[in-house]
Amino acid sequence: MPAAIRNLRSDPQLLFVRLPNLLSLLCIVVGVVWLLLLPLNDYSRQTYISENALLPGQVHAYFTGSEQNIFRGYKKELEGLINEEREDGAQNPEVESTPAISNKIHSILQAAGLKVATQKYEYTSAGITHRGENVYGIIHAPRGDATEAIVLVAAWKTADDELNLNGVTLALTLARYFKRWSLWSKDIIFIFPPDSKTGTQAWIDAYHDLHPSSVQPLPLKSGALQGALVIEYPFDHRFKTLHIVYDGVNGQLPNLDLFNTAVAIAGGQMGIGANLQEMWQHDDSYEARLKTILRGMTKQGLGYATGAHSSFMPYHIDAITLQPKGEGWEDEMALGRTIESLCRSLNNLLEHLHQSFFFYLLMQSNRFVSIGTYLPSAMLLAGNFTIMAIALWMRTGYHSDPKLSGPTGSESSKLKSEKSSSPGTQKDVAETKTDGSAVAERVLALPLTLVSGLHLLGLVPLWIFNTIFHQYFTTVTYIFVAVDIVLPLLLAALLSNGLGISTPIVRQQYLLIKSFALLLLGLSLSTLATLNFSLAFMIGLLCTPLSFVVRLEGAAPLRYAISSLGLVLLNILSPPTVLIGICWYTGVPIETVLTQAAFGWDVWGMWTQVVVWCVWWPAWLIGCVLLGSSMF
Amino acid sequence: MPLLLRLLQVLSLLLLAGVVTAEHTSNWAVLVSTSRFWFNYRHLANVLSLYRTVKRLGIPDSQIILMLPDDMACNPRNAFPGTVYSNADRAVDLYGDNIEVDYRGYEVTVENFIRLLTDRLDEDVPRSKRLGSDAGSNVLVYMTGHGGDQFLKFQDAEEIGAWDLADAFGQMWEKKRYHELLFMIDTCQANTMYTHFYSPNIVATGSSELDQSSYSHHADNDVGVAVIDRWTYYVLEFLETQVTSANSKLNLGDLFDSYDMSKIHSQPGVRWDLFPGGEQEGRLRTVVDFFGNVQNVEVENVNATEPGSLKEDLAEIARLVEKWHKRDEEYSVVLGNSSQPRNKDMQSSSVHLSPKKTVGPTKMDEDSNWAKRLVGLSVLGLCTAIWLAGSILGRSVA
Repeated sequence: MPAAIRNLRSDPQLLFVRLPNLLSLLCIVVGVVWLLLLPLNDYSRQTYISENALLPGQVHAYFTGSEQNIFRGYKKELEGLINEEREDGAQNPEVESTPAISNKIHSILQAAGLKVATQKYEYTSAGITHRGENVYGIIHAPRGDATEAIVLVAAWKTADDELNLNGVTLALTLARYFKRWSLWSKDIIFIFPPDSKTGTQAWIDAYHDLHPSSVQPLPLKSGALQGALVIEYPFDHRFKTLHIVYDGVNGQLPNLDLFNTAVAIAGGQMGIGANLQEMWQHDDSYEARLKTILRGMTKQGLGYATGAHSSFMPYHIDAITLQPKGEGWEDEMALGRTIESLCRSLNNLLEHLHQSFFFYLLMQSNRFVSIGTYLPSAMLLAGNFTIMAIALWMRTGYHSDPKLSGPTGSESSKLKSEKSSSPGTQKDVAETKTDGSAVAERVLALPLTLVSGLHLLGLVPLWIFNTIFHQYFTTVTYIFVAVDIVLPLLLAALLSNGLGISTPIVRQQYLLIKSFALLLLGLSLSTLATLNFSLAFMIGLLCTPLSFVVRLEGAAPLRYAISSLGLVLLNILSPPTVLIGICWYTGVPIETVLTQAAFGWDVWGMWTQVVVWCVWWPAWLIGCVLLGSSMF
Repeated sequence: MPLLLRLLQVLSLLLLAGVVTAEHTSNWAVLVSTSRFWFNYRHLANVLSLYRTVKRLGIPDSQIILMLPDDMACNPRNAFPGTVYSNADRAVDLYGDNIEVDYRGYEVTVENFIRLLTDRLDEDVPRSKRLGSDAGSNVLVYMTGHGGDQFLKFQDAEEIGAWDLADAFGQMWEKKRYHELLFMIDTCQANTMYTHFYSPNIVATGSSELDQSSYSHHADNDVGVAVIDRWTYYVLEFLETQVTSANSKLNLGDLFDSYDMSKIHSQPGVRWDLFPGGEQEGRLRTVVDFFGNVQNVEVENVNATEPGSLKEDLAEIARLVEKWHKRDEEYSVVLGNSSQPRNKDMQSSSVHLSPKKTVGPTKMDEDSNWAKRLVGLSVLGLCTAIWLAGSILGRSVA
């Protein structure tokens, strides 16, 4: 064993070239396998309520009977308004909220005894203007101190752009019903935004006085928000299960206790099953669990707002959306009782939800893995780049190859000739060592400039994709595919021919370029993994070939063939191509995705594009440049 | 002094003649809930139930120290404002209109609890916050809250250890603050809390063993929380249904025999070994010895033999006199032969007081007189010489 280590240490070729490759590959394989192991019982855990104060399902919910008549009455009033709009020939009356509807909601809330206020807002993104008016009412806790509040949201349009008539009506009925209880320790705020994308964002920004000038400030406020529930009920038939949506902007998640409480109350107290991540048929098998995790990771990785609740997450307000799904025997009263019981649980809270996990992957409504278990997966993927970067850095410090590093002195060349003439024996070990530690000066200026320059270049597509009008998105994407093919070759040619201003680039500099690029990638991804595990994992996985991309040497025909093939493969993994591929696979137009992304950047504060254009794209570009340079 | 000593001896002999059995003269109850917050409603309900029971059996409010760290009755989450119930039937409002909470809210701390037991309180602390028990008092200490192995959490920030509690009781015994003490505790791993007790006359009982949880009995679905713990529930059931009056003859043995593990869901424990006579004697103490009240107050408990009784005090004083006397003797031996006859004389005259020796003016000795005058003169001469020399030298310098 010591002999083996000695051999390893004395063989720079093995230590700095082959071993890092092996280690990197191992990291990638283990990282991926790790993720695949998570759904197993040994690695995942049963969920549990961590916060004692919640006491889910310990109270009788009395929302029944006569409240149903109130519900029907409110619904009739709203339906009448929709019909009037339709007769007036308004555009899309089935879905769009109108001032008449706002006024109606306003008056109903006022009649129920709530303090009501409205807020107008306007957002512009990718050339589209989003305009609307939030109506909201506050129940002041009769015996509370108005320092804390719970939020109930019923948007006129659901996250899927359906008319949420039952949801809004239910919220109105609940407002009237809650107003008559005297046991609230927190204020309850009912918000009725016109849609699920913009309304809550405008409201929550204004609530914390962080709104842009196009959004009105709130005339009426309450205490610190402790939790938010979003009600959706966009159909008229009875439902079977409750779909709980919990993903926030940038992959932030609500405290697991909130999700668990919702599952416990729905399942335990009301006898309604709970779904997550659109897994309607969940047989608790390995495949179903893995699929749930992957769906969750996709949503988390893309980081977009999955519902009206998502906007609350950046403010550390735990929020979920409750969506009734399927055909069953549960009616709006059952949903109302679930929400009543959830509100009673939140009402019991003594401090902000903090006991349970904020970083988790759910695989079933009652099973999860926590950050400690899943994090190594993305960390290993990120680590593979770092290992490679360090190895390359070490490699550039030695004159391992006399041919390419160039003679720096007669002594070193003599040593090198000695080394090449006498390999293998025990006696030569010391000599090889001295040879291996012959220090080479690193030429840092060009690699550093290039790597940082290309990372800054990422700001250009970031700016373009968040600024231009939505109708150009598809065209610009295709242009970018072309740019991604040409730009690396152009850069490679320039580098190989010395850019016309300096001496031609040497081998060491290519290695340094790669080292810096991978170092930055590894650093960024491992940092990102703690914030948004899924995004770091996805980017890490897409970038894995970059660890192994090198400038090829050898016979010209072979070099050309391999590098062109490599470039084609790398181009398939370029950010715009991946986007096109995914859009083609899921059938969603590119324009929609990019409009959403631009909207996310402008309104939600979504960071996914920054990671794509300033971390992934530069690293990818440098990989292509290295491979492309083999051609020149 | 010898006369006084003899008098005391006679007196103590007289007292010894009339020995009677020990009986307590008053009852005190210290009822403590240690946890706050709405979801711990049941701990306050436990204590309030016990409070109600001891009051029913006759202990007056002035002799009950009630510690409630939170106000459930006025919690905004309470669906029945102003009330606390320990049963979902809500038949008895424990908060009623005749309740005296002595320590409330953040006053319920480990420090205050130990100060209360050991009476290390400021002078300005009112009587209602003092445990006024004495050597004749039977004290009931009931505690409930969240606990663990040898600790009980107070509020949300601190805890009392089993050693702290043992030392507090130890100090109470030293200070003669109880006659007999019944310690009851309902918390997880409750029995570990009394393992370190060392002072005598204590019977201790707890709800659960090491590594066992104590469970709540049932929840009220309208209040929305559990309203009472199992062990307390069944202790109360015994007290409410069997101990119906202050004259009840049921004893502690009956109470502890009523523990049913299948109902309580944990293993309750009892500790007898500190009690004189052990379990056999302890079992015979009636329940109302601790939960009820007696008022057979004796002005001077002349017959008692326990710490704090007059007889014992007198015996102690006699011992002290003996000790001083001995020391005096030794002292006189050291002084020498001249004083020995006088000492002898003193010992023999045990009945009569030795004639008082007055200190009068005495004549100064002639011999020493001259010597002193000589010394005085020489000192005076020396001073004059110094003064003269100084004045001459000073002038020459000037």
